[in-house]
Amino acid sequence: MKEMIISELSQALHELARGFAHYLPRLIVMLILAFAGWAVAYFVKVLLRSLLRLLRFDKLSENTGASQLLNKAALPPASEVLSRFVFWLVWLGFILVGVSVLGILGLQEQVAKFFFFLPRLFTALFILFFGLLAAGFFSRAALLAAVNANVPSPRMLSFAVRSIIIVFVLSIVFEELGLAEQTMLVAFGIVFGALMLGLALAFGIGGRNLAQGFLERRFLRPKKEEGEDELSAL
Amino acid sequence: MSHDALALPPLRTEIKLAEETFLTDDFLRQLINVGEVDVLVGLATHNNAKTIGAIVQSIQSCILRSYTRDRVVIINADGGSRDGTPELVTGISIDDLRPLSNLHSLRTLHSISTQYANTPSSTAALRTILAAAELLRAKACVVMSPESPSIDGEWISKLLHPVRYDSFDLATPTYRRHKFEGLLITNLLYPMTRALYGLRIREPYMQDFGFSGRLGSEFLSQNAWADGSGEDGIELRLTLAAITGKRRICQSFLGQKEHVERRSADLVPALRQTVGPMFATLESTFSTWSSVTGSQPVPTFGPEHEVSLGPLRVNRKRLRQMFSSGVAELETVFHSILAPSTLVELQRIARLEEEDFVYPAELWVKTVYEFAASYQKSVINRDHIIQALAPLFRGRVLTFLTENRNGTAEDVENNIEGLCLEFERLKPYLLQMWETRE
Amino acid sequence: MPLSQDVLWYKDAIIYQVHVRTFYDSNGDGIGDFQGLEQKLGYLQELGVNAIWLMPFFPSPLRDDGYDIADYETVHSGYGTLEDFRKVLESAHNRGIRIIIEMVLNHTSDQHPWFQESRSSRDNPRRDWYVWSDTDERYKGTRIIFLDTEKSNWAWDPISKAYYWHRFFSHQPDLNYDNPAVREQMWKVMSFWLEMGVDGFRLDAVPYLLEREGTNCENLPETHEVLKEFRRRLDEQFPGRMLLAEANQWPADLRPYFGDGDEFHMAFHFPLMPRMFMGLKLEDRKPITEILQQTPEIPPPCQWSLFLRNHDELTLEMVTDMERDYMYDTYAENKTMRLNLGIRRRLAPLLENDRRRIELMNGLLMSLPGTPIVYYGDEIGMGDNINLGDRNGVRTPMQWSGGWNAGFSTAEPDRLYAPLIQNPVYGYPAVNVLSQLGSEHSLLRWMQRMIAVRASTSVFGRGSIEFLRPANHRILAYVRRLGNEAVLAVNNLSGAAQAVELDLKKYKGNILIEMSGKNMFPRVGDQPYLLTLGPYQFFWFRLRRI
Repeated sequence: MKEMIISELSQALHELARGFAHYLPRLIVMLILAFAGWAVAYFVKVLLRSLLRLLRFDKLSENTGASQLLNKAALPPASEVLSRFVFWLVWLGFILVGVSVLGILGLQEQVAKFFFFLPRLFTALFILFFGLLAAGFFSRAALLAAVNANVPSPRMLSFAVRSIIIVFVLSIVFEELGLAEQTMLVAFGIVFGALMLGLALAFGIGGRNLAQGFLERRFLRPKKEEGEDELSAL
Repeated sequence: MSHDALALPPLRTEIKLAEETFLTDDFLRQLINVGEVDVLVGLATHNNAKTIGAIVQSIQSCILRSYTRDRVVIINADGGSRDGTPELVTGISIDDLRPLSNLHSLRTLHSISTQYANTPSSTAALRTILAAAELLRAKACVVMSPESPSIDGEWISKLLHPVRYDSFDLATPTYRRHKFEGLLITNLLYPMTRALYGLRIREPYMQDFGFSGRLGSEFLSQNAWADGSGEDGIELRLTLAAITGKRRICQSFLGQKEHVERRSADLVPALRQTVGPMFATLESTFSTWSSVTGSQPVPTFGPEHEVSLGPLRVNRKRLRQMFSSGVAELETVFHSILAPSTLVELQRIARLEEEDFVYPAELWVKTVYEFAASYQKSVINRDHIIQALAPLFRGRVLTFLTENRNGTAEDVENNIEGLCLEFERLKPYLLQMWETRE
Repeated sequence: MPLSQDVLWYKDAIIYQVHVRTFYDSNGDGIGDFQGLEQKLGYLQELGVNAIWLMPFFPSPLRDDGYDIADYETVHSGYGTLEDFRKVLESAHNRGIRIIIEMVLNHTSDQHPWFQESRSSRDNPRRDWYVWSDTDERYKGTRIIFLDTEKSNWAWDPISKAYYWHRFFSHQPDLNYDNPAVREQMWKVMSFWLEMGVDGFRLDAVPYLLEREGTNCENLPETHEVLKEFRRRLDEQFPGRMLLAEANQWPADLRPYFGDGDEFHMAFHFPLMPRMFMGLKLEDRKPITEILQQTPEIPPPCQWSLFLRNHDELTLEMVTDMERDYMYDTYAENKTMRLNLGIRRRLAPLLENDRRRIELMNGLLMSLPGTPIVYYGDEIGMGDNINLGDRNGVRTPMQWSGGWNAGFSTAEPDRLYAPLIQNPVYGYPAVNVLSQLGSEHSLLRWMQRMIAVRASTSVFGRGSIEFLRPANHRILAYVRRLGNEAVLAVNNLSGAAQAVELDLKKYKGNILIEMSGKNMFPRVGDQPYLLTLGPYQFFWFRLRRI
């Protein structure tokens, strides 16, 4: 009995030791991968950052108004944000490869899923980034047009434009991430958003003068007093 | 090796030439027939049939009277008129193809028309005219607004003569105008050009002007066209090009500038055409304007300007309301553009009662300078910056109207002069913002 | 080479205008003479001309270059004898060259015996041969032609104590054509020369023959009656002879001088000439096409006579004030070059000795409708001497060679009737016949070739003209047609190379053959015909359908 216990115990210890011995190199490999991953990710980050600076990426994002967005969120400049994001992504990738080396069942599947998911994530983030930019741009355009056309409640209009675009963008993002089927709301948003974006685009870019004229005719003419002279700017 | 090095540049030139053909074949053929000219009269038209007939008649009679020996061509760049405008222009040609007329002219007079696009664009029109001037090696050119009903032949002489005979490169116009006409010019363009570049050019945004072939070619080759930045406000850009190119500039008094009916909705396009290019060129001309202090008059033929008085009914309430609502509604936008102290001050005056309302000159100048600096930094979309200026300009106009309501011509001039000096005085403020832009 | 028998010979003529005094001096007295002219007829034949217009050679005090005639029926002794003239006539005819002489109908010299008799007393039978008056108040509406020298058209005669009428110099009293005896006498004079064999008359100053109160005394119907009478007698007695009118008038006023083909055969086209110079300077065909548009049709047997320069000043009477100012400023900046209402210069100096422009102007002269007249010396590009008074600067001796007196005379240079051109550019060592004959590319050789090309077809002399009017106004283009024959002339009036598109649809299918080199150009198709021309270049193309 005692021997049995001892033998079982020693066998367990043996197995533990063997298992440990079996896993230890993998663990070491994982740690090496993690460390090497950090180094590679850091290198990629530095490289990307200097590349973006060289390409005047910050200036570009300033021009499109992206920097404003980041400023508002108290984030560092766009090139810094992007290179940090890439750093984490690369490092995480290495760590996940390391984890898969450990050979833990189930985890491997998740890791594979992660890599499969990566391109979609990128696309989604890309859409989100520019979608938010567009939302800011068009809402401001609507605001300015409304103010200069003396339309009542310009900020409401501006907010509506922004909301519609964001809903629209989010729906695309969820779709891209494969989560779309889960919400009917988003589907509705796509339809509604597309319609409203179309209108917003038409009024915003396609015919801003026309739209202005339309708005003016619609809202201003009745207010104009008889015999009033218009100011001449030039 | 030297072979290859020699072979490359022509290839590049070819590509460039291929891209540069914006003149139609038909127009080129007409230009070939015109040949070299001494004087080119340019007209940028779009559905101007009502006024253009009288204008081209006066152009023709001026040429027959004062430029009998010169080779003259009238070039009409049309933006797709559907009312027969081009035919009215080409109809004044003098040649041996038409039945004999009693017109006494030594020479053939070509009056030709080309349609540069289906939509009007003063930039495309002027570009066409400049290209024609260069191809025809015109010595002196004059561009006339196709809608001034009061134009007479003398105007052409007044703009042409300094260029043709006194070797000026640019003849800008001055007019007799109502004191409340051209408010953007008196309240922004004139004072700011003057403060920045040190030249007192009364109408930097020109609708009728004369220029030398040399200046035209130089301007054409600057090629601000291709990148789209030269899209608007070509007229002002030409003035600025003459200034920064250190060209000889003069002013010619033309006469009464008739009021052309405009709508208040035209304000934003007007800003785009004038303030936009003004701000946009600040960066490239920094070396010129940063060192200028004070201002000098430019040689002027005739009076420097004349002001007519008379009642003008303006809806002041609406100006006031649009200013205030603009300041309130655009707060977030102004946060990006204006200095905090300026915004606070604007918000303060926006709350004033109508009779107490005043948008002081100093605050207006600071506003404009801060807009210019923000434009340069592209804090938000540049067109949005220009649009955001519109409500503030309305506020400034209201103050200008109030201050000069009962003013004589002299009072109005003094008021404008005061504003100019304020622009000049505060110029270091702009420079300071410019230098801390990074 | 015998004379052609065609009565319309003047239509195909190329006329050489020369004064016998200026051409060649055979006897070494310093003045050109008929024997000299006869010796040089070979030169003219080689040049290709087929008619000579001899300027007045009658006895004369020579106060107006011979236009003040003192005897109508002989020759000035300085130029030889009547017999010498007969020899010239015969010799010229043998060479196929016709002789046209001057006939000054309007006036005589005050030295003419007729005038001497007329002024001798108020009841002399010849009193009424001239226009006399007791007052200088008659015919007030008449302009004065020689503005620079004459104050009035009336001059006081101290002998008979009356005024006599003169349209030109006061030493040239006008004959009175209201008097049938005068008309008869003048026909007698003309018959005298016609019988001798002259082929035609250039009738001088024809608009002024008669005077009527209340008119400007020019182009009067009565004047036309007189001229028609002369023509009738000419046709009856001397068929095939020609009358050429000198009438410096607008085309519409000139038209009556052709009548219904029963007055003059030819008339000078005065208004065209300054406009050719103007068109060249302006680089614009408008002046030329405009004046030709205003030129009326003339009866079929009639012909215009065209010239670039002649013995007179380049007249600017038939232009507007604006045009005259332009011509003065561009062609006679130096005021001494101006005389009366004109410019007293020769062709080459007017065109700044630019060979291309000289060729172009001669090309126009020979391709526009009319009979061209070449003024002596212009075929070699002779210069002028503006320091000589009046129009004598363009009447200097012909430059035959670079030798003694330019080969004109063996006399002492001081004895020459006028000094030779001496300046380095136009002087006879540089510009003369001998050296130009030696070079295939000289102006003289070129003129010979062009005259030959023109003579190769009668389309230039007799054809119709149709202007093409391309949009490029620097190009003067026209098609001359006669029967099946068609010639296209394209002239670049500009000093820069030009491209031009000609509308030749009418001639679709024709091949263009350039006439001086006989080279082919592409066939005319549906598209406008594109041609490029060098500075001042011109082409004559024969249109051929093969």
